[in-house]
Amino acid sequence: MRKRRHASGDQEHTGIDLAPMLDFVTNLLIFFIITAVFVKESGLEVNRPTSFEQPEESDNESIQIQILSDGEIWVDNRAVDVRAVRANVERMSAVNPDSGVLILAQEQAPTGTLVEVVDQVHLGGIYNITFSTTQ
Amino acid sequence: MQSRRHAPESEDTGIDLAPMLDFTTNLLIFFIITTSFIKEAGITVFKPEALTAVNRDSGNLLIAIRENGDIWMDRRRIELRDVRPQMERLHIERPDDTVVIIADKESDAGVVAKVMDEVRLAGITTMSIAADPAG
Repeated sequence: MRKRRHASGDQEHTGIDLAPMLDFVTNLLIFFIITAVFVKESGLEVNRPTSFEQPEESDNESIQIQILSDGEIWVDNRAVDVRAVRANVERMSAVNPDSGVLILAQEQAPTGTLVEVVDQVHLGGIYNITFSTTQ
Repeated sequence: MQSRRHAPESEDTGIDLAPMLDFTTNLLIFFIITTSFIKEAGITVFKPEALTAVNRDSGNLLIAIRENGDIWMDRRRIELRDVRPQMERLHIERPDDTVVIIADKESDAGVVAKVMDEVRLAGITTMSIAADPAG
């Protein structure tokens, strides 16, 4: 070390100059800071049969929930409250443990109600939900 | 100045950039790792709330539906018939992307269903309806 230091004309340091590397890294950093998007969307998954094929009503075991355009919810030919959906679903899934739920919403039904119903069905223990619309 | 330079040894007097470089590189790595290139919808809608909403890390194509039925994607308002070609293009670019539909509470379930159909026709089968985790 001593020798080398003496060999070079100046008595300056012999390390690599880090400044250009720092410039480069900082530029990269700025790019990633600018493009970073912190979006986390949480959601509910529902199945959707394509419009071309009719919703599978072949298995009569499936629980049907209807949502009317004014937000009314019908289960088993009875109008029920959102909070009662869970109890209904629990009761029906106790009878048929592997039944799915078919949600039939009218086209004008509010999505908020739809999501509430899906949520309640999830709470009732059924995750196999099919969503379909009617005129 | 003269006197300082002469003081103990004739080393360089510049700032040592190495620690700064370490720090910057760490920041850089953090941003590289956390960056996910999400196609944002571009508008804010009032999402419904759900207790069973789950966080999906892979949901990175966002489609927003406003209460009047407008569909927004990639910061632009698009028509329903444009959803499918857009989705097909994005699906080819990154095949493992999933779709999150951010529908307003007051939007029609029919529009949501139609958008879901279009997305499904574009070949993307995993999609969910966005909901805020309640409580």
